[in-house]
Amino acid sequence: MQILIYILKRILQTIPLLIIVSLISFFIIRLSPVDPLAELKLNPSVSKETLQRETERLGLDKPIIVQYGKWAKSFVKGDLGITSNGEQVSAKLKERIPNTLLLTVIVIFLTWIVGVPLGILAAVKWKTPFDRILTVLTSIGMAIPSFFFAVLLLIFAVKTGWFPVGGLTSSNFLEMSFSQKVMDITRHLILPVTVLFTISLAGLQRQMRANLLDVLDSDYVKFARAKGLSEFKVVFKHALRNAINPMITLLGFEFAGLLSGAALTEYVFQYPGLGRLILEAVLRSDINLVMASLMMGAIMLVAGNLIADILLIITDPRIREAGGRQA
Amino acid sequence: MVINKIIFHDKLLFMKRKIIGILIVLCVAALVGKACINRDIPETDAPVLRKKADVILHDYKQPENKTVNGIDYLQSQNTIGDFGGDMVLSTIGEGPKTFNPFNTKDNISSQMSEIMYDGLVTTQPVTGEVIPKLAKGFEVNGNEYIIYLRKGIKWSDGKSITADDVVFTWKDIILAGFGNTSIRDSIVVDGELPTVHKIDDYTVKFITPKPFAPFLRMLATPIAPKHIFEPAVKKGKAYFDTFQSTNIKPEGLVTSGAFKLKEYVPAQRVVYEKNPNYYEINKNGDKLPYLNKIIYLIVGDINNEVLKFEGGELDVISLQGANVARFKEMEKHSDFTVYNIGPNTGTMYLSMNLNNRKDDNGKFYVDPKKQFWFSDLNFRKACDYAIDRKNMVLNIANGLAEPLFTPESLNSIFLNKNLKPYDRDLEKSKELLRKSGFYWDKKGHLRDKFNNHVEFNLYTNAGNTEREAIGVMVKQDLEDLGMKVNFKPIEFNSLVNKLVSTLDWDMVIMGLTGSPLEPNGGKNVWMSNGTLHMFNQRLEKDMNSKRLPWEKRIDYLYEQGALAINFEDRKKYYDEYQEIVYEQKPFIYIYSPIIIVAIRNKFKNVFPTPLGGVTHNIEEIFEKGIN
Repeated sequence: MQILIYILKRILQTIPLLIIVSLISFFIIRLSPVDPLAELKLNPSVSKETLQRETERLGLDKPIIVQYGKWAKSFVKGDLGITSNGEQVSAKLKERIPNTLLLTVIVIFLTWIVGVPLGILAAVKWKTPFDRILTVLTSIGMAIPSFFFAVLLLIFAVKTGWFPVGGLTSSNFLEMSFSQKVMDITRHLILPVTVLFTISLAGLQRQMRANLLDVLDSDYVKFARAKGLSEFKVVFKHALRNAINPMITLLGFEFAGLLSGAALTEYVFQYPGLGRLILEAVLRSDINLVMASLMMGAIMLVAGNLIADILLIITDPRIREAGGRQA
Repeated sequence: MVINKIIFHDKLLFMKRKIIGILIVLCVAALVGKACINRDIPETDAPVLRKKADVILHDYKQPENKTVNGIDYLQSQNTIGDFGGDMVLSTIGEGPKTFNPFNTKDNISSQMSEIMYDGLVTTQPVTGEVIPKLAKGFEVNGNEYIIYLRKGIKWSDGKSITADDVVFTWKDIILAGFGNTSIRDSIVVDGELPTVHKIDDYTVKFITPKPFAPFLRMLATPIAPKHIFEPAVKKGKAYFDTFQSTNIKPEGLVTSGAFKLKEYVPAQRVVYEKNPNYYEINKNGDKLPYLNKIIYLIVGDINNEVLKFEGGELDVISLQGANVARFKEMEKHSDFTVYNIGPNTGTMYLSMNLNNRKDDNGKFYVDPKKQFWFSDLNFRKACDYAIDRKNMVLNIANGLAEPLFTPESLNSIFLNKNLKPYDRDLEKSKELLRKSGFYWDKKGHLRDKFNNHVEFNLYTNAGNTEREAIGVMVKQDLEDLGMKVNFKPIEFNSLVNKLVSTLDWDMVIMGLTGSPLEPNGGKNVWMSNGTLHMFNQRLEKDMNSKRLPWEKRIDYLYEQGALAINFEDRKKYYDEYQEIVYEQKPFIYIYSPIIIVAIRNKFKNVFPTPLGGVTHNIEEIFEKGIN
């Protein structure tokens, strides 16, 4: 019950936040000197009448505040409006969301399944050669810019011919059998997943290692060791439970990154995901599309934090009690 | 103390290892980097391209009409090929936004929809004349155009293509103002539109209010199948705007072109398959096209396109700058040929803001002291002579461009060949400046006769590396004259806003794409009331402001040029307009890049031309040895 009230409170708190986010983004986009009709205006064959009609269709002839009101009203109703090319924003997003999710879910799953154990292992084997090698490797992982790494891998793909050069499916995808289709997508996914995996693995592994090291240094762990508990029990039963808390917060942020975290890599690999769509929309100042994606990002971030907090309440009795008292 | 020392030692050891680690990483990176560098051949090895003439005078034979069993086919005159195979091409950007050829507002959408629909006429890819395509033939008598259609040819769904489709397309879609109205807007003569009449099932007559030369080429507009488009037209303009958008199922498209849509995957590719009812046959009487599919990959940028070609995923690519040398080198031991198909239709220019009007707040758009410089013909000419075009061609375009001096592009059939190119001549520039009272102070700064230091902003769109490079060189060239040039690349959209709305700019480097066949398309740039009359842009409120004498003359020439019918008569008008621009320098043209394409050798019947590009005869291209 208390948790429910807490959730409700948190949701209510997000409403003013979202309004502020939307206001700021809307005004920044509209007040920037980017003209959504620039390309049309620079086309010698486009007539004045066409330009006039386009201006009216996009509502550019009205004051910004009226434009915002119109946008906000339809947004609340669940209508995301149309893009500057007249397509439904929701349809455009729906085309791309599954592709991006496919990529990011695989990456997050892999990093967590590999990164957390590696972090634990490194902390337990602190200062052994194993730990040092891992530290060097993760330093490399964190230091390589994703963009650069992606380009290197693309060149690798071209020179060896082992992997396709970007994209998600081959051009004869339509004629493939189901198993061929799965193989085809896997082949296309390997390189982008490698890039994203390397980069986020490094951060996660270090975070986990640092957390666990902190905890391993604390008095109750020393006490547990002094009591003669096996090292396994000390680490997994006592230390780990306490070290995992910050990781849950991190998981909340990962959730927010599900739809927006891979934009740069998507761009290099020509991956048909949201990142590319939104980048192109921003360059064109396609307001409805940009707003929809910004709001989606904001909502995902708020939701991710909320989920993390709820998970924390469940895993950590201290927070549960403190939260309870507050409520 | 002892403990400290141990920790210190440990740290040292750790640092040592770290340093070794870093060194290893650096070595790996350097090796990788070196491998990449070695792949590029030195720039001094300028590519020796095949002579332009080699390619243009190839033995392309235009298809001819041939009637078999009462059906008026078009017959390919080129080598008989093998059936089957695919060709993979690419398009840079976001891909098509609609498949409705009447709704397109951008080049890619037009290209993607026009693959599927043929127009009544087309352009002869070598000579540039208008030749029949979907029509069997045509006659022009003054302002009357009589079109004879092919008997017995069919849409991709098996229905006949008749005069009803032509009349419907023109009367109910184009002239009625459905979709993108730029065609309609461009054929209005004195406020009146042409009319279209059905004479019989296979004959159509168009009448323009006055003889209007650009109209003939407008007949290349796609013809729509009436039985598909009519229901959409009946639902009104708003519905028509969304009709045949990119969400459409491919079966919903009924086409007349050699290919029809098979699949569209957003942000990845557009796949077309052979239209079995296409009306062109080869010399054996087999129905074309030869290829089963053509595939356009949607790629984000040029680099990715190059990688895809090298990785074997693409069959055709158009190349730029440094890549040309590299590809030329690779060509020797590779499966593709690099073609030089001559200057493209793009024109790159430097322009000064000649605006002398005030904005709503009574403030001049252009600082009056700058107005004094820019409106001075000697100043403009001095800038022109100071610009080193040859140097730019060599250094920016890697020698793959030609210096440009005229508003019509170098491959235009209306190009005024009497306007001679010239080299950089700083002495002449200085003499011209002196003539107008400019002088140099002790520090070598250029000052006008009111003692103002000549300093202004030069804009171009950021991100376009070619224009940015030109900007840097223009800045250097002009600073040789003692001017101070603040070069500011800004975001494309902001720049356009400056050029057409706020008008607060001094100098700009821009490019426009013209038509090599029809100068009338440039009327928005050259007529004084045009929406792109950049060098002296008039906003709505300024439409009646005074025109410069030569602006007035160009207005007249453009009007007359459109009304004259004969090529020779028209050419006179357009020659004079080019001469005026050459003399008055509202735009200082810089260069035109040369189009270079690489195509895999397995494709035959490939005849790239400057006017038609690579795909003008896509139905005749075949993959050798496919069977």
